[in-house]
This record gives sequence, structure tokens and C-alpha cells, in this order.
Amino acid sequence: MSKSLLIISRQPPWSGPTAREALDIALAGGAFDLPIGMLFLDDGVFQLSTAQQPATLQQKDLGANLQALPMFGVEALYASTRSLQERGLERQKLNLAVELLDDAGLTALVARYDQVITL
Amino acid sequence: MKFAIALFAPPHAPSSRRALRFAQAVLAGGHEIVRLFFYQDGVHSASSNVISPQDELDLTGEWRDFVRTQRLDGVVCIAAALRRGVLDTQEAQRYAAGSANLQAPWELSGLGQLHEATQQADRLVCFGGS
Amino acid sequence: MTTLHMLSHSPFSDSRLSSCLRLLGPGDGLLLCGDAVYALQPGSAQCQALELMPESIGLFALDEDLSARAIAGPQRLQAVDYPGMVELSCRFDKVNSWL
Repeated sequence: MSKSLLIISRQPPWSGPTAREALDIALAGGAFDLPIGMLFLDDGVFQLSTAQQPATLQQKDLGANLQALPMFGVEALYASTRSLQERGLERQKLNLAVELLDDAGLTALVARYDQVITL
Repeated sequence: MKFAIALFAPPHAPSSRRALRFAQAVLAGGHEIVRLFFYQDGVHSASSNVISPQDELDLTGEWRDFVRTQRLDGVVCIAAALRRGVLDTQEAQRYAAGSANLQAPWELSGLGQLHEATQQADRLVCFGGS
Repeated sequence: MTTLHMLSHSPFSDSRLSSCLRLLGPGDGLLLCGDAVYALQPGSAQCQALELMPESIGLFALDEDLSARAIAGPQRLQAVDYPGMVELSCRFDKVNSWL
């Protein structure tokens, strides 16, 4: 049985390649049919904000690439309620279907996975 | 126990040295290292172009010697490497780039190698950031 | 499953420690390396927060980073060397580094 891997993505969409490189780990795992989960925490929740205009920074649209997650079989997607609230995003529509978790939910989530990478 | 060790930081970051000392302790403790996987800025820790002053630690040299002497599988993520200008001879030729700065014992490969190592190992330990 | 959380950033300019503290589960461990050992600076709110963690959470720090910065840490702290760090990574079910 495959080991499950949780990727915790904490960076905003365009602070260097980290957000994209976290996503790449998830997509690669999905491509190999591995049990992958992805949690958006702290500034990582900014990746979920809609109506972003990456082209003005000559960046690729990370939000569009996030849509590939379910297509690669990565459907265990989560975001921290606290992180969203701290950033005034709790009432906004998000660009990805994620399960919202409070702190206790996050603790339980991390405990469930066999491996974790936080970047 | 079997370890997969991933490095996300360049050689001047303290975490690169910490990762090496940890890897050395893993082997000294009788455990096995399934793979070393260098990702993000960790690709610079495999560069053959990092020149350290004589009175400073030559960390890329130490990493290289460690992988060679212990016959470890040292993999550098190709996508992360290209983006940061770390190329082996093949990629340097493919892109008509300046020169190659990644040599044996390091090998360029994909994230699949990180996932494979994570599946094979009992423990995945990542080093990076600061 | 228990997790050994590894931190290496100073908590005074960074949110990793506070986010990590909220995620810790009973029986987890916290290993401070590099600049993260500044969290043990006596008299700091960070050190207080670490001392107030439930007893079931192990608090560890890399000895070389403590000595380099001349930080002793509170009573509950266990300093470890690299072999000790390897032992910790075997003791807990998985390791989560806050990169």
C-alpha cells in the first residue's frame, strides 16, 4: 500500500517559484497515482484568491494550474480557516474546491498522513 | 531504517551543512539512505562552480565526496535545476547554454524520483529554508 | 501518528513557529535548529510559549546551535547532537520540516 504524502503550501503565489514548486510535487505524485493531499496555510491561501492578474507581473497563472490538481487525482485539498480569516478571505469565493479546517482539524490532518512536506 | 533526505537550500545556507551532517549521522548509525534529492535552491548545493574561500567550508565539495564515497544515489531535480542555471553537459548542449556545472556523481532527474524515494523510505527528512 | 516538527527560522521575524504551535498534536515533538533556537531566548514571549506547551510534547534543540548562540534553554529542553537527531527522526512516526 502506498504511503500518503501531505504537501503544506505556505507561500503566496508569486514570491519566487515556491508556490509553483509545491504544486509540482503534488501533481507529480498524482501522476504516479499516489495518495497526495494539499493544504494551503498562512500566505498559501492567497493562491486561492480569484480575479488575480499574474500577466501584469509576467507570471504564469498559478490559479489555472491549481485546477489541474483534481485532474491528476489530487482531490484531498484543504485550507486553513484561520489563515483565510487573518487575511480577510473568509467570505470570498475561492478558485479551488477546498475543505476548510480549523486548527484542530489541521492537527488531525497532519497526524493522518504518512509523510509531510511543508514549503 | 531507510531514509530519504531532501535538500531545498543552497550551500551557503546553514541547513545545507546541517543536512550533510545529518546524512553522515544516518549512515554512522547503521541506517540506509535510499536517495538524496536536491530541489528548489538545493540544486546549487550540487553545483561544481561554487568556489569557497580557502579558510571556509567547501560544502559542495563535501557533498560530492560524501555521495561518491558512500556510493549514494544523488539526484538533482531537472526542472528546478534548469530554472536556476544548474545544467549538466547534456542540458547545456540542448539549450546551447554557457557551460555545464553539474557533474558526476550528481544526476538530473524528475520529481518522480523524490516520490519513489518517499515510498521506499521509512523516513523522509527535508532540510531547507534557513 | 506522531510528528517531529523541525524549525530553522528565527521566530521573531517569521510566522513558522506560531503556525507550528497551532498544529502540534499530543505526543508530537518540536526540534529547533539553526536560528529557530532563538525561540529559547529567556524572557521572550516565544520561550514562554514553548514552556507552556503540554507536557506530552517533546522540546528538542540541536546542541551546536545552542552553544554557538550561548543559549541554554528551559528545563524541559533536551539538547541533541546529530546522532540524537537521527534517533528522534526514528522515534517519531514522521518528520515535518518547516522549510
